[in-house]
Amino acid sequence: MLRRLIYILLLLPMACIDPFKVEVPEGQQLVTIEGIIHNGPGPHAISISRSATYGSVFEGLIRPVTGATVVIRDNEGRITFLEETENSRGNYFTPAGFRAEIGKSYTLQIQTVEGKVYSSLPERVLSSPAIENVSLKTVTIPVEGEIIPRSGVQLISEINDPADQKNFYFWRLSPVVHVLEARPDLFVNRETRTPAPKACCYTCFRTEATGNQSLFIAQDDNFNGLTTRIPAGFIEDNGLRFVSKLRVDLKQYSISQEAFRFLRLVKQQAEISGSIFDPPPATIRGNMISLDNPDEVVLGYFMAAGESSKRIYIDKSDLTFRQIAGIVPDDCRTVSGASIDPPFDWKP
Amino acid sequence: MKKILFLLLFFIGHASWAQIASPTKREVVGRDVGQLKGVKISGRITDAITGEALVGATVTVPELDLVKITDNNGSFELILDRAEYNLQFRYVGYETINYPITAVGDGRISLRMLQEDFQLDDVVIFGRDPEKNIRSTDMGAITLSMNTIRELPPFLGEIDIVRSLATLPGVSQVGEASSGLNVRGGGVDQNLIQFAGAPIYNPSHMFGLFTAFNADVVNDVTLYKAVVPARFGGRSSAILDILPKAGSITKWGGDLMLSNYSGKLSVNGPVIKDKVSILGGFRISYINWFLNSLSNPTVKNSQANFYDGNLVISAPISDKNEFTYSYYTSYDDFAFASDTTISWKNNAHSLQWKSRLSSKLSLEALGYYSLYNYGIFNQSGINDFDINSDIQDIGGKLYLGYNFSETNKVVFGGDFKQVNIQPGELIPTGTQQEILPKKVQNEVGQEAGVHFQHEFELGEKFGFSYGLRYDTYRYLGARVVRQYRENKPVSDGSAIGETNYSDGEVIQTYDGLGPRASFRYSFNKASSVKLGYNKMYQFIHLISNTATIAPSDVWKLSDNFLEPQIADQYSVGYYNNFKGNIFETSIEVYYKDLQNVVEYKDGATLIMQNHLETELIPAEGRAYGIELYVKKNLGRLTGWISYTYSRSLRRVITPFEEENINNGAWYASNFDKPHDLTLIGNYKVSTNTSVSATFAYSTGRPITFPEAKFDFSGNNLAYFDSRNQQRVPDFHRLDLAANFKLKGKGRFFDGDWTFSVLNVYGRKNPFSIFFDDAVGSPPQAFRLAILGVPLPSLSYSIKF
Repeated sequence: MLRRLIYILLLLPMACIDPFKVEVPEGQQLVTIEGIIHNGPGPHAISISRSATYGSVFEGLIRPVTGATVVIRDNEGRITFLEETENSRGNYFTPAGFRAEIGKSYTLQIQTVEGKVYSSLPERVLSSPAIENVSLKTVTIPVEGEIIPRSGVQLISEINDPADQKNFYFWRLSPVVHVLEARPDLFVNRETRTPAPKACCYTCFRTEATGNQSLFIAQDDNFNGLTTRIPAGFIEDNGLRFVSKLRVDLKQYSISQEAFRFLRLVKQQAEISGSIFDPPPATIRGNMISLDNPDEVVLGYFMAAGESSKRIYIDKSDLTFRQIAGIVPDDCRTVSGASIDPPFDWKP
Repeated sequence: MKKILFLLLFFIGHASWAQIASPTKREVVGRDVGQLKGVKISGRITDAITGEALVGATVTVPELDLVKITDNNGSFELILDRAEYNLQFRYVGYETINYPITAVGDGRISLRMLQEDFQLDDVVIFGRDPEKNIRSTDMGAITLSMNTIRELPPFLGEIDIVRSLATLPGVSQVGEASSGLNVRGGGVDQNLIQFAGAPIYNPSHMFGLFTAFNADVVNDVTLYKAVVPARFGGRSSAILDILPKAGSITKWGGDLMLSNYSGKLSVNGPVIKDKVSILGGFRISYINWFLNSLSNPTVKNSQANFYDGNLVISAPISDKNEFTYSYYTSYDDFAFASDTTISWKNNAHSLQWKSRLSSKLSLEALGYYSLYNYGIFNQSGINDFDINSDIQDIGGKLYLGYNFSETNKVVFGGDFKQVNIQPGELIPTGTQQEILPKKVQNEVGQEAGVHFQHEFELGEKFGFSYGLRYDTYRYLGARVVRQYRENKPVSDGSAIGETNYSDGEVIQTYDGLGPRASFRYSFNKASSVKLGYNKMYQFIHLISNTATIAPSDVWKLSDNFLEPQIADQYSVGYYNNFKGNIFETSIEVYYKDLQNVVEYKDGATLIMQNHLETELIPAEGRAYGIELYVKKNLGRLTGWISYTYSRSLRRVITPFEEENINNGAWYASNFDKPHDLTLIGNYKVSTNTSVSATFAYSTGRPITFPEAKFDFSGNNLAYFDSRNQQRVPDFHRLDLAANFKLKGKGRFFDGDWTFSVLNVYGRKNPFSIFFDDAVGSPPQAFRLAILGVPLPSLSYSIKF
């Protein structure tokens, strides 16, 4: 009993974080732009939406802005029209074969159906040094109240940073393709609740956008002119992705200083933890302006960048810690994005 | 014959003169040479058990309405006419001594006073002098003796100096884990915190959960929040002057305290009997053990260590001369989930010489050296690095005091200091060369000040104090300073050139006159009204993007871009004591005007930044408030109520519209908390049991809410526009404590058990509300409560 009492006294369970209901002012519907054009293969996408009230998903929906006229103009006056597709409202794509050229400047111009005109400030395309190698590091993240931590693999980009210029880097991941192992023999008929083993199929190839959890950006202040390694991406292990092989393209962009500053603010906000050392919230202003009303706030950023890309295959043996393999008790083809045939260029 | 005996005793030495109980007979003091006027009686008061000097004890001469306070050495001096007097000696927590004397010539009294621990039912929480608040001309100076602070409920098992001050009117803290104080709408960096005269930059352990000063080695703390005496300068809001205890020159003794979070031990005694004493104190936390024993994986992989240590050598080598050396150190390290360790360390040395050159002229000289450093150590395995940074202060002060009479005094002097800041050095520690070492340019600044202050009374009713301080400041090379295009905001993009300044070359100078004045009118012995004005300059700025002092914050000297902060403060106060000083009340009103306060551009990068001018914007500030205070000093129930209504506002107007914050309108500063109420009570249940309670309420601090959400790169983001337009919910908390004194056999067994519970009803007071798009839930607001549950602690202390 005494021991228990002492334990209670000694405990340090002070701080806690919990969801909190606050009265948030009704959101403004601000035009938001997101998009990047680069010198890699297209099509490149620009998305336009309107902001909504902060709070639960039910309080406000971020609505796409459709039917706008979207053009990209380079510094020689050449104009490229972007097309909105049927099944992806609010997303506008460059025509086939369009690539940004190193050294050129581009501006994005938008006219909405209401007739409002927006333009970006010019963005210059800078070349991106090649990704020399991608190394991997298994990362585990302890989770409160769980014995098994979350885990995944961190992608580390090795580059030779050019010494003669200031470089700002931004990394993204392509959708991954991974071997998906299923157990159709364990299939259970949902209505009769009786085992109904299927003969096919055990192994598929699944294409999936994993997202990136966080933004990966860097500036060369600390490594100008060096061969360096920088964390550039993260793929979480969900128990299915790393059962055999996984393929991903790491895309590296050389962005402008202004774009970097913007992304750093986004990253700062996305990673806010509520700790006592958090910086106060900052206004994230992008490079878009309204030509009709200079005081109108336009959110988001239009980027033009040089791209370099590296394709890697990650084998399960590359990971030092893996989640317990998940079981899909069905034909693997029923999983979204899965197909029985590997992509034509699957060359692990 | 009697005279000869007296003479003999006088020459043998004062030890034999020591009195413990009240003398039944009137003593004849002094050598009778037929002197009628100007008889000088000096003396010293010590603790009867430990031999420690009692600083701030009162000596009353009722016949003359004269009250004297003993100095840091426990000494006092009376100038009397030849007559009979009934002297009274009083000290907080000690038995009062009535001491009838006949003064016939210059003489000396040495007295030992007994602690009243087990004798008295009443608690007395007078400061140094029961009527000081009415009679003194200085405004807004609050001295808390450790005896007063001990009556408050302890925080995490210990009494806490900084938190105790925050219970007073006009003094607040941002939240539960924040170090430093906000005094009358000023920032945490606007207070000069000095320990034995040396500046301390980070006064906290564990990010502010504990104060980095060991209360067992502190004698008293004085906070000047309104009219700061002219001998202090260099910060624009307030001065927090912490004085260490001197050890006993007669006997060895000490204190030991163990609580469930930390333990401390202090020992003091004579090195050379009656001449040189030493006091050493050490405090260490064992929180780390508990962190490791918890099951929460994040917590388990975290560590938190701290310690602090003190050494005081004091040498009252004669009645006229006293030397004191003080060393203070504090250390912290903290690792959250094991990758990155943050550590910080304070070190301060000071040497003080006090001398009474004549009965009217006294001198005080002080030299100090302080070093504050912090480090961030990244051992994540990729691009490992260390960042080190430090601030060095070296300086000296000299002042002379001349007393024309008891009520007419002059103090004048000067001080000088050099501050060297190494703002940051990044050292790669990985095996491969993957990142570049980087060093932010060092900064050197010199501050010098001369000052003069005259304090006098005209009759009983009027008191005046006026002073002037002249500060000069030089910002020195070596340094590369950028030039920026005019008519454009200062940014990396608008830089047009650089100038190289050589070592010691003057880059920029500033100077300023800081007048101080206060006036007092007494209606009677128990009530007075006071007016005050002062102006202060500050040449160093805390560059911090958070609302508290973080160990990773950067301190920056004023340079050609960042001008010194200037504060003007006007204050009025009415003071009234009732029932023979049992109740003390005051109302104070102030208005403060601040110039060149630092604000930040959105998303500013502050660490390892060579061109801080590109991230900072000067702001103006103003603060005003009314402070009400009622204190009960005596009786079984003691305590106080303090209520403050105040505002602290900021405004940023620049020539460039895009840099203005909130479109150039006034907005609340991060620590603007209009209503602030504190209730403190201590009830003596019996001779050895007391209970105490603190209740605090304040308006929630300002916060910025998002005005919209938008998507970018898969993140649901918040769009913030205007700063600090909303508030976190109001703060309130009740703390309770019970104290039991055990009387055992022998000194080692007389102990104090203190059991306390913080946040009794477990309110989750939000430190912050933040907005996050967490995985698996919609983007929403979250509340961070630092102290979200009732938190018990137990401590045991003994005096030996």
